Amino acid sequence: MNRAARIAVLAGGGAAVAIGADLSQPGTKWSALALIGGAIAAGELIELRPPYRAVLPISFAYMVVLARRASVADATLVLVVALLATFLVRTEPTTAEGRLALLVERFAEGLAAVVAFRAVDRAFGTATDRTGVLLALGAAAIAPILVAEVARMVRTRSFSISMQGRSADVVLVTSATLMGVSDTGIDGSGGMGLWGPLVFTIPLLGAWYSYEHLDRIRRTYDQTIRALGAAPELGGFVRAGHAERVASLSLSIGAEIGLSRHELSQLETAALLHHLGQVCLDEPDHGRAPEPGAVASSGAAILRSTPLLAPAGDIIAAETLAHRARQGSRPSVLSGQILKVASAFDELSEGRPDQAALAFEALSCAPAYLYDERVLAALELVLDRSGLLEPALAHADSAASGR
Amino acid sequence: VGFDVVQLRRREWQKVVFNSSAGVLCLLAAAVPYWLIVDSGSQPLTITLLAATSIAGVVYSVLNTLLVSVPVSISSNDKYRTVARHIGTYDLPAIPFAILGLGLGWVYLELGAVVVPLLVVPILIARSTFANYLELRAAQEQTIQTLILALEAKDRYTAGHAQRVATFCEYVGTELGFTPSRLERLRYAALMHDIGKLIVPNQLLNKPGRLTESEFARVRRHEGVSVELLRRIDFLSPIAGDTTTEAATAAVGGAGLVEPAIIHVADAFDAMTSTRSYRKALTQDTAFAELRGGAGSQFNPDCVEALIRAIEARGEQYGAGFEVEVHEWGTAPPDAGTGSAGLGDVLPDEQRAPEPIDAVARRQATERASKR
Repeated sequence: MNRAARIAVLAGGGAAVAIGADLSQPGTKWSALALIGGAIAAGELIELRPPYRAVLPISFAYMVVLARRASVADATLVLVVALLATFLVRTEPTTAEGRLALLVERFAEGLAAVVAFRAVDRAFGTATDRTGVLLALGAAAIAPILVAEVARMVRTRSFSISMQGRSADVVLVTSATLMGVSDTGIDGSGGMGLWGPLVFTIPLLGAWYSYEHLDRIRRTYDQTIRALGAAPELGGFVRAGHAERVASLSLSIGAEIGLSRHELSQLETAALLHHLGQVCLDEPDHGRAPEPGAVASSGAAILRSTPLLAPAGDIIAAETLAHRARQGSRPSVLSGQILKVASAFDELSEGRPDQAALAFEALSCAPAYLYDERVLAALELVLDRSGLLEPALAHADSAASGR
Repeated sequence: VGFDVVQLRRREWQKVVFNSSAGVLCLLAAAVPYWLIVDSGSQPLTITLLAATSIAGVVYSVLNTLLVSVPVSISSNDKYRTVARHIGTYDLPAIPFAILGLGLGWVYLELGAVVVPLLVVPILIARSTFANYLELRAAQEQTIQTLILALEAKDRYTAGHAQRVATFCEYVGTELGFTPSRLERLRYAALMHDIGKLIVPNQLLNKPGRLTESEFARVRRHEGVSVELLRRIDFLSPIAGDTTTEAATAAVGGAGLVEPAIIHVADAFDAMTSTRSYRKALTQDTAFAELRGGAGSQFNPDCVEALIRAIEARGEQYGAGFEVEVHEWGTAPPDAGTGSAGLGDVLPDEQRAPEPIDAVARRQATERASKR
C-alpha cells in the first residue's frame, strides 16, 4: 500500500464512520466528529517539510477544528481513535517504538490544542466576539507546535530555538485559524460547515507540495555534490572517505570558530569538492601527486562558473592564495584556512583516529605561517572533545619539555 | 497579473494585449455557467456554490489553454495539439484556486476583511517556497552543465555528447509514453551517464593510437564509477544500471526499468554519428542499420525502433555531413575504426584493424551468453 492509498484509507474510513453514524441516528454530532477524525488521521501522513526544521503534519490544523467543535471528552475520544488508526497504517518511523512514541506525542499535541482553545475562550468569556474567537483559534493552532518543539528538545537534548523554516508554522497557524472560523462562523454567521475546513485545506496542500519539491531538490543537490566529492577517491587519487572526513572536520572547526550557517554550508561544499580539480589535470609522471596549487585553482575554476558554487570555489582557491595575496578580512580566507588545516590533518592522520594525536602534533609544529593559529586552536578543542588527543598527551608533553 | 508585469517590463506589448484580452474573454465565459447555476436572487446552498465554481474554473482553464495555445503553436512551429496538452498541464491546477476564491469571497462577506490575510499569507508562503524550489532546480541543472563542460574539456571529441544523448533519450522516452517526471529523471541520468570519465586521466582519453592493456582497464573503470556515482543520488539510483549487461536487452515493460537500455542505445547512436579519435562519423543510415543489427543482442529492440521512429518523425539528420561539432585535426581519423561503434567489420578483411581487447572480450561474452 503506497502513501496515497494509506491517506485515502484513513480519510475514507472517517467518512464511512460518519455516514454510518448519520444513518443510525440522523443529525448526530458524531458524524461531523468522525469526518474530522478521518482528516486528522489522514493529515498525520501529509507533512510539511521545511528546511532545517522538524516536519509538521497538517493534522495539527484539523486538531484546531476539533478543538472548536468538541468537548474535551469527545475530542479525547476522537483523537485516540484517529491516532490509533494512523498508528496501524503508518510505516514511518520504521521502529514500532518510534511509532508509539509519535502516537503519544501527537496525542499530547492534540490535547494541547483543545485545552488552549478552552482556556482562551473562557478567558474572553464570549463565543460571539470576533477577536476572542480568532485569538482562541490562534492559541489552539500554536499550542501543538509548541508541544512538538518541546518534545523535539527533550528528544535531542538540545535546548535551542531556531527561527529557520518558520514559514511552515505560519502557514499552519493561519490556515488552521481560517478553518476553525469558516467551520462554525462567528456568532452564527459565516459558518460553511465542514466545507470550510475542506476548502481551506487547499493552501495547506499547496504549501505541502512546494515544501515537498524543495526538500526533494535540496536532497538531490546535496547528494550530487557528495557524489562528485567521492569521484576523486573512486578514481584512486585520494584515500577513501577523505572528502567526507574533511567535510565533517571542517564543519566542526567552523562551528567552533563561530561561522554562520550559510558560511558553514559553503565550507562543507568546498570541503567535499576540494579535490575535484585533480580530475581535470593531466596525470603527472609516475607516482607523483599533482601540485596542490594546480588542483585547487583548476577546481575553483570549474566551481566559479556556477553562481551557487562560486563561493565554494573561492574557499578552495583561498587555500592557496591566502599567503600570497593576504586578502585579510574576506570570509573565504578564514574558511580556506579551515579547509587547509582539515585536509592536511586528514592526510597526516591517514583517516585513522589513533593517528589523530600525532597528526595534530605535526600540524602544530609546522612553521607559523603555514596554518592559521585560530584554526589550530579550534582543531585542538574539537579533537580534545572527541577524546582523540588523550593517548598521545604524555608524548606531546615530553616533546614540549625536550624542545 | 504577475505574468503581465514581467512582460510589461520586457516591453512585449503584443503579449500583454493578448493575455489581457484572453483573460477577460475566459472570465466572461466562466461567469456564464456560474450564473446559470447560482441564481443570484436566492441564498444558494454551499454545495451548489462549490459545483458552480468548479465548473466555472474548468471552463476558464480549458478556454485559456485553447486560446493561449494558438499563438504559442504559431511561434514555436509545434503541433497545436501537443502545445495545448503541454499548456493544459500547467493550467488545470488553477481549478483549486477557483474554489479557494469562492471560500475567500464567502469569509470576506460574512466575517470582514480581518480574515483575508489568513488565506493570503499561506498562499504567498507556498508561492515563495515554490520559487525557491525552481531556483534550486535551476542551480542543480547549472551545476550538472558545468561539470559536463569540465568533462568534455578533457576529451574534445565528445563535445556536446552528453547533451545529445540526453536529447535522444527524451525522444525515446516520449515515444514510449513516459510521464514528465520519469522523462526528467531519464534526462538527468543521460546527462550524467559518462560522469565517471572524470577519473580517467586526460592523457589516456586523448592518447593517439592503441592503449596498452592496463591503460585500457583504467579507461574502462569509468563505467563502473559512473554507475556508482549515480547510485549515490537517491532519485537516480533506481535507473543507475550497468548498460552493457542483460538489462540492456530486457523488453520494455519487463521486470527491470528500461532506462539503462535507452541510455545505452542513445549513447551508441551518438557515438556512431559523431567523429571520434578512432574514426570519422558514420552516416545516419549506417548507424540505424547497426542499431537494428544489434537489436536483441546488444540493444533493446523497442528502444532502437523508438529512437529511429522519433528521429525520422522529426526529419532530423545526424552523422557524417550533419555534425554539429566539426573538429579540426592534424591527422584525420580513419574512415572506419574498430569495435562495434568503430565498425571495423564494414572494411574488407585486409584493411581491418586488429580488434581492441574490449571488442574481443565483449564478443566472447555475447557468444557465451547466447550459447547458454
